[in-house]
Amino acid sequence: MKISYNWLKEYVYFYLSPQELADKLTNVGLVVADVKTVEDDFCLDVEVTSNRPDCLGIIGIAREVAAAVGGSLHFPEKNFLSSNTEITKYINITVEEPVLCPHYTARVVRHITVEPSPEWIQKRLRCVGIRPVNNIVDITNYVMMETGQPLHTFDLDKLLDQKIIVRRARSGEEIVAINGARRVLFHDMLVIADGKRPIAIAGIMGGKETEISESTRNVLLECAQFEPRQVRRTSKAVGIASDSSYRFERGTDPEGVDYASQKAVGLVKDCAGGEIASGGIDIRSQRYEREKVTLRMERVHKILGLEIKRDVVSDILKKLQFNVINEVDNYIDVEIPSFRGDVYREIDLIEEVARMYGYNNIPVKTSISVRGSAKSKEEIVEGYIRQFLIGLGFYEVKTFGIVDTSSLQRVNLWSDKEGIDIANPLRQDESRLRTCLLPSLINTKRYNINHGTEQLKIFEIAKVYLAGDKMPQEKTCLSLIADTDFYTVKGIVESLLLNLGILSKCEWTIFNESRLFSNEKATKIQMDRVTLGCLGEASKELGFKTSTSLLELDMDFLVEKSCFTKKYQTLSLYPSVLRDLAIIVDEEVTWADIEKCIASVKISFLKEINFFDIYRGKQIPAEKKSMAFNLCFQAQDRTLKNEEVDIAQQTILDNLCETLGAELRK
Amino acid sequence: MLDKLKKVKEALQNEIEAAATLKDAEQLKIKYLGRKGAINDLMKLIPTLPAEQRATFGQQINSFKIDITDIINEAFKKLSSESIPKVKKEIFDVTLPGKRPFIGKMHPVTRTIEDIKEVFARLGFDVAYGPEVELEYYNFEALNIPPDHPSRTDFDTFYIKNDILLRSQTSTVQIRIMENQKPPIRIIAPGRVYRPDTVDARHSFMFHQVEGLLVDEGVSFSDLKGVLNQFIKTYFGKDVQMRFRPSFFPFTEPSAEVDISCSICSGKGCSVCSYSGWVEILGAGMVNPNVFKSVHYDPEKYTGFAFGMGVERIAMLKHGIDDIRLFYENNIHFLSQF
Ligand SMILES: [Zn+2]
Repeated sequence: MKISYNWLKEYVYFYLSPQELADKLTNVGLVVADVKTVEDDFCLDVEVTSNRPDCLGIIGIAREVAAAVGGSLHFPEKNFLSSNTEITKYINITVEEPVLCPHYTARVVRHITVEPSPEWIQKRLRCVGIRPVNNIVDITNYVMMETGQPLHTFDLDKLLDQKIIVRRARSGEEIVAINGARRVLFHDMLVIADGKRPIAIAGIMGGKETEISESTRNVLLECAQFEPRQVRRTSKAVGIASDSSYRFERGTDPEGVDYASQKAVGLVKDCAGGEIASGGIDIRSQRYEREKVTLRMERVHKILGLEIKRDVVSDILKKLQFNVINEVDNYIDVEIPSFRGDVYREIDLIEEVARMYGYNNIPVKTSISVRGSAKSKEEIVEGYIRQFLIGLGFYEVKTFGIVDTSSLQRVNLWSDKEGIDIANPLRQDESRLRTCLLPSLINTKRYNINHGTEQLKIFEIAKVYLAGDKMPQEKTCLSLIADTDFYTVKGIVESLLLNLGILSKCEWTIFNESRLFSNEKATKIQMDRVTLGCLGEASKELGFKTSTSLLELDMDFLVEKSCFTKKYQTLSLYPSVLRDLAIIVDEEVTWADIEKCIASVKISFLKEINFFDIYRGKQIPAEKKSMAFNLCFQAQDRTLKNEEVDIAQQTILDNLCETLGAELRK
Repeated sequence: MLDKLKKVKEALQNEIEAAATLKDAEQLKIKYLGRKGAINDLMKLIPTLPAEQRATFGQQINSFKIDITDIINEAFKKLSSESIPKVKKEIFDVTLPGKRPFIGKMHPVTRTIEDIKEVFARLGFDVAYGPEVELEYYNFEALNIPPDHPSRTDFDTFYIKNDILLRSQTSTVQIRIMENQKPPIRIIAPGRVYRPDTVDARHSFMFHQVEGLLVDEGVSFSDLKGVLNQFIKTYFGKDVQMRFRPSFFPFTEPSAEVDISCSICSGKGCSVCSYSGWVEILGAGMVNPNVFKSVHYDPEKYTGFAFGMGVERIAMLKHGIDDIRLFYENNIHFLSQF
């Protein structure tokens, strides 16, 4: 809301420069974003919060200034002379929807001359950013800027059947608004109609056909109150917002209609001549009752933590035009003025007190009680993983949860269902909640390659959104891309699991169901029959020049499985014996087979099996491979004898021969 | 005879010491060990000796020959190493760059959230999380923002379906926590939020917020100022000033915008603070009694405060970043600076 410094001065006495005024207003909650010189005046751009429609008029701002600086208020008179002809001779008005239009008034001025308005009006409008049009339109804008009450004028001679009906639109009815927009209306919208057709979308915008033109001689001035939510809904539905709808949807002063109407009609006569028809039409469905609220001093103290005297409080309220009805002991009864629709509870009055007393005058207390706070398991795990990966040279990235619907983003590792779409996306091609983090990381890697960084290790911890019954399932995932091979990333996963105290065994199975991964060098990781994630080298299709591996893990599952209670295990006092072995097996035999076979022998003092090499080629028959590993034997209670280790090793070898057809490589 | 051997040896040692080049050594080798050399000359003397002395003398010549050979070889070694052109002694250069281990970085948004969490953890705040896809109820109604309320304009929102949306504020977590817990409550809730804002240097359709909530008996606006003052002084520095301005949020009353003195110009006025000396960093207020009603808390018994801040905004202020889009481009040259 833009206000004129000179205009404001007409209603309230103050001795403040425009900048000082701006600071004062900012301190009471009316942030002044900007102060500009306009001609010989200043324009202050005031940010009015949505709860304060009363400040969408200069008079409302004047009240705040008066309360803040203690200056007195004085509003201009609104005297005018009217003719002897009754308004009812010219127009007949019915309100069919009293709930949606609780108050409707109209006045008629005849024999006017439409011409540019006087310079003083034009100047003020220019100052507050409104383009002058003609005297009639300018006056409605002027009074709206002054009082916050929107008004509209119709060309009286264009109203069919000399009628105005405030009714719901008939579905399918059309209107062309003043701004040229043609709109089809529906039954849930409120319109102002004449005998035949809608002539305005109530509270939002008038129609082109009844608009004031240079040839207009007789005008009808509408000043009304419309139900805020109705105005908001319709404004959104027809896609038209105006200064008028902006004010109506925030709520106008129920006692302000008459003042604005009289002020406007007086100005019309002054500026456009003509004669005012006697009386006005005033249709009001029910009397407005002012709210009464009791303010308890002890509550003021409790909410604000401030010791403040009752007379200081009541003084603040009076300055804000609140009517203090009663003031005894430790409470104050207050009648709320009609323009302060936002105040109807005790807490609202406390806010007013705090605001005017000054937030910065409320003491800063540091006496909140002591309380312990521990990290949750998910915070611990997430923090650990982050530090772990950073230590390994990974950069953390953050990418958007809303993605495009390209085939890359359609990859879904976690569900067979399609991703969830946003009903009102910002851009048509960015409309989906992601189902997988990897595509965003792939794009990030590509972005960096294009910006000259080829070598890159990145990770992200964020949510994916999977279609669910009513609400989507949100799964937190850990995803990474590294310019390394399969086994390096696999090693990272193994080390991570170990360090998170996850003891369950992983199943690693070939995974060739996703186009992100190479067909051969990719695996699905399962633990306790639940999918923990996928890992593999990037598919050639992705076009990375160097060997690149991808990983996506279910973080929620990692958190669940992590275990940080560590129990100390006695260190063995006896030496361990290491035996290196190399066996020749068929190409099909996997390391997992070998491990399983060795474990099945159940040698109590076999501590570890460590793979160290695989070899194919010279000295190894075709379609066979040599697997080299060592066995570490150690007992807790004795030094192992060579002979018992020999026997154990032989038993293992025999079993490998029998089960897997292995042969000792000599 | 032994004297003779001694003399030959002495002569050799003198000559060897005088030898300056490999060539000299070569000549000495021929002179002593060659076919017509001194040793062979001595060998020729053997038949001339009495029979009983021959064996002993033969052994003496042999061991003498070994000694001579050693001496000459030694000379060769010494002279050959000297014959290589002299190289200056290697100097260890401590100014060469070290072999740096490659360490990654935390994203600046995470870093900021972690720092904020850290300050509030020390004030006894737990961390709480909530869903990003929310029921409209938690994003609006329960927070005292009824349908068709004008303040909804301030919270443009992405919708999935009628009553399901992407949360536009982390205040949703307040309600979920209060629904499931009785006071006292002391939490902060960091997380992603979404708003259909056109992307530019100041706006992003996704950003992060940290929401805070403290509810107990006897909590006042003055405590809110106390807690935020602690936070601001700890996070931004002891010399930073704090300013509260009245504002409006549907879920708090009284509501405030909190400014801190501009750290760039120390309050003198610059482009970062639009020449006001102050920058807005968070919104706060006393929990609106209507919010307490929606979670069935007795507003007469309990009072509380809530606050919320934009993480990117704080990171931008702290590091002097002028474009919010940088956070999501993830250019390594950007990420490596934090
Ligand atoms: Zn500054």
